[in-house]
Amino acid sequence: MTGLFTAYRLARAGAGRIVVLDRGSYLSNGASGRNGGGVRQQWETPETIRLAREAVAAYRRFGSEFGVNPWFRQSGYLFLADSPAEVERLQAVHRTVTREGLPSRWLTPAGVARLVPGLWTAGLLGGSYLESDGTLYPFPVVWGLFEAVRELGVEVCLGTEVYRISGRDDRRLSVDGGYGRLDADIVVNAAGGWSSEVARRAGIDLPTRPVRHEICATEPLKPFVDPMVVRASDGLYFSQTMRGELVGGLSMPHAEGFGAGMTTSAGFLARYARAILGLYPALRELRILRAWSGYYDESPDGLPILGADPALPGFVHAAGLGGHGFMLAPAIGRLVAAAALGEATPELAPFAPGRFAGPTARPGSREQLSLG
Amino acid sequence: MDPPTVADPGAAPTDPSAPTILDGWPGGPLGFRQRSIRYHRPRAPVCGRGDCTGCLVRVNGVPNVRACQYRPGPNDRIETENAWPSPRFDLGRIFDLLFPRGIDTTRGLLRPSAARPVYQWVVRRLAGYGRFPTPSAPTPPAPARRFEAEVGIVGAGPAGRAVAARLALEPGGTTVILDRTDSGRGPAGTTRLFRSTAVFLPPPVAGRERPFTLWAVGPGGEGLRIEARQVVVATGGYDASLLFGNGDRPGVLTADGALAFAAGTDRPPFAEAVVVGGGPRAAEILDRFGDRVGAVVAPTSIDPEVVDRAAQHGIPLYPRTLLLRARGFGRVTGVDLAARGSGPSFHRRADAVIVALRRLPNAQLFFQAGARLLWHPRPGAYFPRLTEGGESSVPGLWGVGGVAGDPPGDPVAQGIRVAEAILGHRPTGEPRPLPRWEPPELEGYVAELAARRPPRGKWVACPCEDVLLSEVEEAVRRGYHGIEAVKRYTGLGTGLCQGRYCLPDALLWLAALEHRPIPEIGYITQRPPVVPTPLGTWAGLPDGEEAAP
Repeated sequence: MTGLFTAYRLARAGAGRIVVLDRGSYLSNGASGRNGGGVRQQWETPETIRLAREAVAAYRRFGSEFGVNPWFRQSGYLFLADSPAEVERLQAVHRTVTREGLPSRWLTPAGVARLVPGLWTAGLLGGSYLESDGTLYPFPVVWGLFEAVRELGVEVCLGTEVYRISGRDDRRLSVDGGYGRLDADIVVNAAGGWSSEVARRAGIDLPTRPVRHEICATEPLKPFVDPMVVRASDGLYFSQTMRGELVGGLSMPHAEGFGAGMTTSAGFLARYARAILGLYPALRELRILRAWSGYYDESPDGLPILGADPALPGFVHAAGLGGHGFMLAPAIGRLVAAAALGEATPELAPFAPGRFAGPTARPGSREQLSLG
Repeated sequence: MDPPTVADPGAAPTDPSAPTILDGWPGGPLGFRQRSIRYHRPRAPVCGRGDCTGCLVRVNGVPNVRACQYRPGPNDRIETENAWPSPRFDLGRIFDLLFPRGIDTTRGLLRPSAARPVYQWVVRRLAGYGRFPTPSAPTPPAPARRFEAEVGIVGAGPAGRAVAARLALEPGGTTVILDRTDSGRGPAGTTRLFRSTAVFLPPPVAGRERPFTLWAVGPGGEGLRIEARQVVVATGGYDASLLFGNGDRPGVLTADGALAFAAGTDRPPFAEAVVVGGGPRAAEILDRFGDRVGAVVAPTSIDPEVVDRAAQHGIPLYPRTLLLRARGFGRVTGVDLAARGSGPSFHRRADAVIVALRRLPNAQLFFQAGARLLWHPRPGAYFPRLTEGGESSVPGLWGVGGVAGDPPGDPVAQGIRVAEAILGHRPTGEPRPLPRWEPPELEGYVAELAARRPPRGKWVACPCEDVLLSEVEEAVRRGYHGIEAVKRYTGLGTGLCQGRYCLPDALLWLAALEHRPIPEIGYITQRPPVVPTPLGTWAGLPDGEEAAP
């Protein structure tokens, strides 16, 4: 998604020949086709909120612009707090979001019960709700972009690995991969969970790491819950799709790396089921239909790593999206494309790739609302 | 004692003495109506196995209960689902009638943009099946029961039972055998778990004393955790369906379904059925229902055993014939057929269509455990690659009987052979060639059908999700090739049956539409669980170990 959005922006800007390489043998094989479809603007850091606002606006327009229907349904995101510490944390989010000019609301347990009828609110202390957040179907977004970039002359090569990226004397880059050798002025790394590996193949030490995340869907029911519901304490999230499936997951202490492949664990299904039944005891007989997993690309401070690499000219990062690539991709695609074209992008300063190293290293703000 | 009540206007209560809700349904199992998820087309039970969406009901406030599997109790309240005002006359069907070519939900329903919330409101309410269950307070989940065994056997058919019986002759071994039915049979000296369904078999964890953990659902909905050194999969096969115009009409069913819906009654729910198929399964159906079959239609040739049986009953045969379309607005009233080649189409009356064409393996556990599967063009399915002794590419995981592609005939001998290989009495041997039995070859049939399919009537490629064949064709036309891409583009294969009934045909059709051999079309990842499994069952499982670093 990040790669296709960037390619789209570059192509629209007339950036010359553009080639998109993807290791997946079919489109949406990575996290773009494995996420829960949530798009939200409630974040801890104002920088992320601004990206998210742009993304929401882009997804509202998406159907008209690309001619496919992503079924973007703005029924809000509801964050639940079940401890005083979570109340404090989410109220801080609520204040930050409000300061950014978005009509976030703080709900009492009674307010939560009114918004989500049937929810078991015992133990809940409140929640933060923003109605203009929403959910969509990820796949049509991928199809729409894929078709649009191809119409603009972009080549999309699936099932194509990159083995080595090397700088040349003329300041161009050589990309050796399944495609053969490509010479490019600019290489954008939007490889999601594989971003640190791709960077390594360019000789760059990128501090992102792949973390497996599991998710599942139930049998369809008639609509009973409108917003995406997230519980900050255990990372539980779920929403009901247009066809009625309850799609969700929760945070698991998975080991880093690709060791577990795209598999599912019984432990995840057990924890998720207990968490859901705590909120919806009546769903005991609702059946899980399928479960799958994908990879988050996590950065050390929870913020994306975006922009030109300080050491390797022409290498541009679009990495570390921490499970929020789909939510932010329209904004990130625009900014990364601008950075690739050498335009000034002051919005990218908080996400600079150089922030983790050297004498200029700074603690910066941390984004920890890496859920749902 | 009150009989169970049925909230289907005009219907009498279901028979409380019937073994399942469907068996006691007024008008019989094929008198039951359900509505499809997008177009609200009328549907009736198809598979008789609890896999299809044709028999969903709400029982005592619990939605999406499979009526063909549920034994009604005396005070059960049974309601139909997904229809208003009733499944027989449902207003939602207006979308089926207004849009004979279907509704494009990928590209349509965008304009005017101000109407999008209205489209979303309507589409969400047409979709889903049952309503939210009757609210209740939290109850602690029943903890999963734990079993340890040398060998876990999934499936207590003749082959699985033979494995268990042979293993039981050796001293000291512990065997657990489970089966989704309640036949109650199985050798002494074995832990027998009946009405229990295996749902998840992750890849074995090397280095553990018992590398396999098999998860199943017990008779009370509780989880079962079977830790085993070795696992034998003897899950058999199921009857595939076949794609044709209006092939989702009530009265179209699989051979499994016909046998299930006629079990325990001398009056099967049809009187003039068309049987589709010319092989051993069709012969079986003629043996059982010969006097209630009006014709036998086969995509290719018809075996002599079927010819003989048809002759006994005076049943006309239509070999090498295309099944074009079912007729009937509700229940099927007939079929349109055409001889292959350039034969003209003709009509044949029928009150049921029984698809007895090919049996496919229930091989999901092999897939989950990471075993290698190979495409077998006859009957057109992926089978586990097994050694002569029956071991898969995952050491300690074995297959026997129908799921292994063993020819029907001597399942006991096959079971004994596998048991002796497990015991080390005989070598497991080299990988063996693919099964050699030869039901009809379907690729040519589908290619011919693709070239001359009639434009009228919906061709529902995936009944659970109401995906039309025209959507599959559209995906291919737009450059989305291979089953993985087409599944994501159309939603085909993502419904309640887990792709059992749509994927086998979809592979054949994609091969015809993309002009590629089937292995290039690929196969979808068969995601756990094997069958949809309640949250309450999962909630009783332990947290589990973390993924190995």
